Amino acid sequence: MEAPPVTVMPVTGGTINMMEYLLQGSVLDLALESLLHRLRGLCDNMEPETFTDHELVYLLKGQQGNPFILRARRALSHPNAPWHLRYLGQPEVGDKNRYALVRNCVDVAASHSLPEFLNEMGFRMDHEFVTSGHIFRKGAMKVVVCNVSRVQLPGNTENTERMSNSHLVELSVLAPAGQDTVSEDMRSFAEQLKPLIHLEKIDPSKQRH
Amino acid sequence: MSGGPAVRISIESSCEKQVQEVGLDGLETYVPPLSMSQNLAKLAQRIDFSQGSDSEENGVDSEPRDGEWGKQEPEEEEDTVKFQPSLWPWDSVRNNLRSSLTEMCVLYDVLSVVKEKKYMALDPVSQDPTAGKTPQVFQLMSKKKSLATAAQLLLKGAEKLSKSVAENQENRRQRDFNTELLRLRSQWKLRKVGDKILGDLSYRSAGSLFPHHGTFEVIKNTDIDLDKKIPEDYCPLDVQIPSDLEGSAYIKVSIQKQSPDIGDLGTVNLFRRPQKNKPGTPWHIKLEAAQNVLLCKEIFAQLSREAVQIKSQIPHIVVKNQIISQPFPGLQLSISLCHCTGDKKINRSSPEKPKPDDHLYVLEHNLHQMIREFHKQQLSSVVMPHPASAPFGHKRLRLAGPMAYDKAEISSLQQSEGLLEKIIKQAKHIFLRSRTARTIDCLASRIEDPQIQAHWSNINDVYESSVKVLITSHGYEQICKSIQLQLNIGVEQIRVVHRDGRAITLSHQEQELQDFLLSQMSQHQVHAVQQLAKVMGWHVLSFSNHVGLGPVESIGNASAITVASPNGEYAISVRNGPESGCKVLVQFPRSQVKDLPKSDVIQDTKWSHLRGPHKEVQWSRMEGRNFVYKMELLMAALTPCP
Repeated sequence: MEAPPVTVMPVTGGTINMMEYLLQGSVLDLALESLLHRLRGLCDNMEPETFTDHELVYLLKGQQGNPFILRARRALSHPNAPWHLRYLGQPEVGDKNRYALVRNCVDVAASHSLPEFLNEMGFRMDHEFVTSGHIFRKGAMKVVVCNVSRVQLPGNTENTERMSNSHLVELSVLAPAGQDTVSEDMRSFAEQLKPLIHLEKIDPSKQRH
Repeated sequence: MSGGPAVRISIESSCEKQVQEVGLDGLETYVPPLSMSQNLAKLAQRIDFSQGSDSEENGVDSEPRDGEWGKQEPEEEEDTVKFQPSLWPWDSVRNNLRSSLTEMCVLYDVLSVVKEKKYMALDPVSQDPTAGKTPQVFQLMSKKKSLATAAQLLLKGAEKLSKSVAENQENRRQRDFNTELLRLRSQWKLRKVGDKILGDLSYRSAGSLFPHHGTFEVIKNTDIDLDKKIPEDYCPLDVQIPSDLEGSAYIKVSIQKQSPDIGDLGTVNLFRRPQKNKPGTPWHIKLEAAQNVLLCKEIFAQLSREAVQIKSQIPHIVVKNQIISQPFPGLQLSISLCHCTGDKKINRSSPEKPKPDDHLYVLEHNLHQMIREFHKQQLSSVVMPHPASAPFGHKRLRLAGPMAYDKAEISSLQQSEGLLEKIIKQAKHIFLRSRTARTIDCLASRIEDPQIQAHWSNINDVYESSVKVLITSHGYEQICKSIQLQLNIGVEQIRVVHRDGRAITLSHQEQELQDFLLSQMSQHQVHAVQQLAKVMGWHVLSFSNHVGLGPVESIGNASAITVASPNGEYAISVRNGPESGCKVLVQFPRSQVKDLPKSDVIQDTKWSHLRGPHKEVQWSRMEGRNFVYKMELLMAALTPCP
């Protein structure tokens, strides 16, 4: 008899029960410079860093229900940094009082043999992309401004093609479940970026065509 | 001409009007043509009235006369009309003509008289000043009048000027405020909240986690009395700092021997010279002082938090503004925050006797340095995650999983020594070092023979310093170099390294070091004899650093040496103990001993070369300034002349 499939229940309990509060938006490349300038002024007094990451999305298809998705990510600019394995739960839009999208989130640092390990476990790579951009920090808030490029040949991160002429902007905070006050901080921060970019909670399930 | 196209020539009247200005867009604005009346006024302005000014007197003179004439005439006319209505209408003209005729006749008579020169002659006469009295009055009055008008004009102008000067000053003050604000802005963080300008004193941007908001307010200080003299140190910009950051503060670290009763501990008042913060102090001094107060408060808050958290055998005590810790038994390290607000009168402390200055400035400085290091660590520990989706956090901690760190490695990552622990360790080291120095100095001054020298290294670590101790005999430094000790003074203990590499660890107890040095000094004497024997050509028969015989020493062991003279006739035995002192015996050849009891066994003459019994030398009565010199003399005495 075949072993029961891996449980698709989200991991809960303990210190790993963290939620990601997320706001998203996009900005055209033309307005990118002014947005970066604004962010440099608003965020913590650190040198803003650029990054280039390669993300692989793995699926584990069970017998029924939705497939289990894991995201493996590595930094192309820092080849020695550990890989990052991430589980993201179903996003909760919540009521109007909560300004940000909330989803369960499990972050694990992993060694470089992660893809092989996932393959051995039965995961299959669904798609991959290369993302590069800037990362800012204000307190616990992380602001990532990045563009997304399609990988044309699987596994070849040199040969990529930009998906669009705009940059994705994500404002996120990792916090334990139930700390909705962070969304207030995010709201006030998003307000300060208002004319340049409108950060909103975007429910991906409604974006599907 | 007829064949070509007609050339269009636009004719424009030449610009008769004056151009007033040319706008930025090239548009010319003309001066509108003068109207008739304006033209007249303009022409009238050109007339120079000053040309007729020399006739002013006459004019002024004649004017009132004319007025008089004018007035009189109608009166007369009226009179004639009133009283002589029957008279014909040219009566007044006739009267005037008549009077003029009379005058002309008089004039003719006078002229004829003058001309004949028989009766009178005309001579130029000096002008009588009284003659022009009337015109002078007029002159004076008119002058007065015109002066009054001129004065009025001038006064008006002056008023305007003074007004504008005051305005200017006001403006300049305003501008000064702005330049000052600019200077302030270049050095301090400012932000505008409502109609206030707030600044940030805190070290938060430098990595501090101290929760004090540290906000100061910028005040415009322009409403001073304009009439009064502006003080030299006047500054249009003032700052309002929070009341709890006013005054000056410092951290005092001291080590005391005996601990006072805890009940006595109060707020330590250590200000001998309270510094006054005058209201006129420039803002940057004020701000720097306030920031220093804030930093001192942060250091103290951090220390007291650690003092409560850290578990130690003897708990640290935090009382009011003092933290007391016991680094060594019977020793008390006190760290206190001294904050003087400047407002309070410190009367209580003044009658007290000035206490000895027991500041440990090095530690105070190190505390400041450490809190800044702590800040820097806070700042540098936050690095951007790579890949970007990873959470913020310690970079090395993120490596723990993939690199399979064990518990020890992870705990080594997390372990960070607190400020208090560090400062206590430094205090312990400083105390141990100073006590070691004192011990060595005491011994050196108490014991003259052998001599003890200490060479301290100038450059030390905060937790470790070293001293080289040499034990020598005066005059024999070159041959008696046996004892060279390197003392590495740590935090809790002293590590002694011998010249040959042997290492001994001593505790912080003063007595241990003293006993050790004493035993080393006693060994030195015996070593010195050994060295001396080599130089003098004597043979070492036996040598022992630790003699198992004889009286037991309370500290260390006695050492002994036996040396024989070059020809083997004499032998000297020396026993030297740290406590019992030295004992020197000389063994004579058997032949020299007269009262040797005859033995049946050794009758042959060859046995006479055996050495005989020992005799003790009364060492204190020996000549010589120190032990080695005495020994040299003794050896020389026992060596037969060749």
